[in-house]
Amino acid sequence: MDVLILASESCDPATEIICAPENVIELFEFSVPLFSIGPLDFTRTVVLTFLAMFIVIGLLYMGFRKRRVVPTKFGVAMESVVSFVRDDLAKGTIGPDGERYAPYLLSIFMFILVANLFELTPGINFPLTSRMAIPLMLAIFTWLIFVIVGFSKNGLHYLFDIVWPKSVPLALRWLVGLIELVSVFVLRPITLAVRLFANLVAGHLMLTLLLGSGWIFFAAVGDIGARSIIGIPWFLFGLGIFVFEFVVAVLQAYIFTLLSAVYIQTSVQPEH
Amino acid sequence: MEEIKGAIALIGYGLAAIGPGIGIGIVVGNAIQAMARQPEAANMARTTMFLGIAFTEALALIGFVLFFIA
Repeated sequence: MDVLILASESCDPATEIICAPENVIELFEFSVPLFSIGPLDFTRTVVLTFLAMFIVIGLLYMGFRKRRVVPTKFGVAMESVVSFVRDDLAKGTIGPDGERYAPYLLSIFMFILVANLFELTPGINFPLTSRMAIPLMLAIFTWLIFVIVGFSKNGLHYLFDIVWPKSVPLALRWLVGLIELVSVFVLRPITLAVRLFANLVAGHLMLTLLLGSGWIFFAAVGDIGARSIIGIPWFLFGLGIFVFEFVVAVLQAYIFTLLSAVYIQTSVQPEH
Repeated sequence: MEEIKGAIALIGYGLAAIGPGIGIGIVVGNAIQAMARQPEAANMARTTMFLGIAFTEALALIGFVLFFIA
């Protein structure tokens, strides 16, 4: 259990009670592959990525396998997720054109939700999105979609409207254009990825520290005696943070999807 | 006088959290005011509130990420 909470593979609680990693990044890296197929090494992160993928596919397949007149409870739950993403996020933000982007938004929403909830799943306790590669890749997909949509819908006007905004007074136009250019093409994908990454890293660190310190105080009862009671408030505080992290996991999946929809919307209908 | 130990990045993160803390307070407060004044527009206000929170929060998170880079 302690190995899973600390998520550190070299940690041996039998010999050493407090296995503090040398660098905090070690909490998120699994450099030892679990197994290899040919030249491909499968670390814990890769295995969990595939697991998340199969969970998303499985949930949607089970929900929509058969069309029924009276849907099952599970089917209704999946339908409400799909209609939330399609109607509220895609159509509500992008407009009537948004239905085209609903499949993409649904996939990233479900994937990020499952990957975030791995943080709280007993036995896994590792949020996939706390490895920068995964949120960065998802943000690059969003970036590609809104750039390609912008150029294909508006042609080169898309770029001109960003660099040379007509609604701004002439004296400031070049400055605003420069800021807009950097913020649209560079800062948008970076902040999109960093927001998800940093939220999940912070959550994983807090859970590790609080639950781990609680466990360490309990485990050290032979050495420090009654003073190990100090582990109880830490453990309870950790459980409180556990509930808070559930909210964060769902909210971050929602915000990533919402921001993707907003970015696509600015490409579909540029400001007049 | 006692010696102070630790990473200065921690102070940097603390400083980075001040501004967004105030900002998120303003965003949520005004969103609640909007929802109370016009409950029928609550859904729109909530979506926009989350957007505002996300943009503001990013500043604090950049401070947090500097802790890893530094």
